Amino acid sequence: MINQKDQQDLFKLISANIKQDIECFALGGTAMMFYGYKDETKDVDLIFQNEEQREIFIEALKKLGYQETSPITIYIAEKLKDPNKPLMFKRGESRFDLFVKKVFQTILNPRMKEDIFAIHQFKTKHTFTIKVLKTEFIVLLKAVTERDKDFEDILTIVKKDKMFDWNYFLDEVLWQTQHGDGWVLLDVEKMMQELKKYVFIEEKYFKKLYQKEK
Amino acid sequence: MNQEEQLKVLEGLHTLETIAETLKITKQAALNLLTKLKKQQYVTVQGGGRTKRLYKITQYKQLPRDEGMFDIINKYSPNFKINPWYDHQVHGIYGPEEALIDALQTNSFRLILASLRLFNHIKNWQKLYKLAKQDHCWQKVAALYDVARLFLKVRTMPKKYSNLKIEKRWVQLTQLKKINFPDIAQKWKVYIPFNKNDIKEIQ
Repeated sequence: MINQKDQQDLFKLISANIKQDIECFALGGTAMMFYGYKDETKDVDLIFQNEEQREIFIEALKKLGYQETSPITIYIAEKLKDPNKPLMFKRGESRFDLFVKKVFQTILNPRMKEDIFAIHQFKTKHTFTIKVLKTEFIVLLKAVTERDKDFEDILTIVKKDKMFDWNYFLDEVLWQTQHGDGWVLLDVEKMMQELKKYVFIEEKYFKKLYQKEK
Repeated sequence: MNQEEQLKVLEGLHTLETIAETLKITKQAALNLLTKLKKQQYVTVQGGGRTKRLYKITQYKQLPRDEGMFDIINKYSPNFKINPWYDHQVHGIYGPEEALIDALQTNSFRLILASLRLFNHIKNWQKLYKLAKQDHCWQKVAALYDVARLFLKVRTMPKKYSNLKIEKRWVQLTQLKKINFPDIAQKWKVYIPFNKNDIKEIQ
């Protein structure tokens, strides 16, 4: 587990070890910690815009003693076959899941890149910029990763974020479906059905989702 | 009522009395609860002394912030505030020089207008020049400086930076292709979107 302070310190260390300025997007538990929704996380999930930037980041991780680890016990079998599965690095209790352009079949699209919640820049020798995605995108990406505790995190976000916009969320689901994500509708429907047991979700949102399925 | 429910009910701005009333507890109990929540970072306090204390309560932790572009610009622009559209924080060295360059990258009319105030707080011109060169925007910085010095108190830019050669290509500060202050615009080949009235707003 890695807490807020450790995370900040770690990012500062990374910024001191990268060979040029890099930028990535935070999703998952890391993003939730930036929101103040969570005190600690098992894994730091980051998505890069290109392979070159991920390589620079990995180089820095290796300098800090991180080693590549297998995703076998973390992700379900279907996801492991996906070419866009993450590269994973571990050191002690902390783990990095590093994606490029896509989280499995879900694309880091222009709307995700522009409509962000926060920018955190860690400056030492070089600048390591982390852009924190909006909650709607975090929920979407958590729905498609389906790891332990992902549902718990989704529940926390939906409960705490009073501005959570279901229409915005479902529009993104549609966009991803239209752009080749074959899993997103099924994953989201499953997640929303489960979520309904804990929080109130208006029926119209399910109708919107089913219309999209047709 | 557990803590999660308490936070949900209380979310927003409160005084000690409104907390006691909402939860139907005594003032002392409300004070004890506030102390606990403050330790857990769910509460921040505004006011005190002669003004009434206001407690901002949220369901999420109000983490300590490092200053970013919006903080720096708002700090030095007393009459013209910018409402941030995202949370920008820099963990490391960050001052007016960096904030000015970052503001230029946004292409935002209001943000660039407010950033004119920063020219009175630039201490390290060499650093500003270096940062501007990296982002290829010295033309814009110099044009803004010339506009700012017409209306606002600014620190003097060393002469070696004010007469540098510039690119021949015209550049835009925002989406507007207006030529206000034609002499300055022509000198630096920069479209200046704001006029005298706009600058009066930040004075």
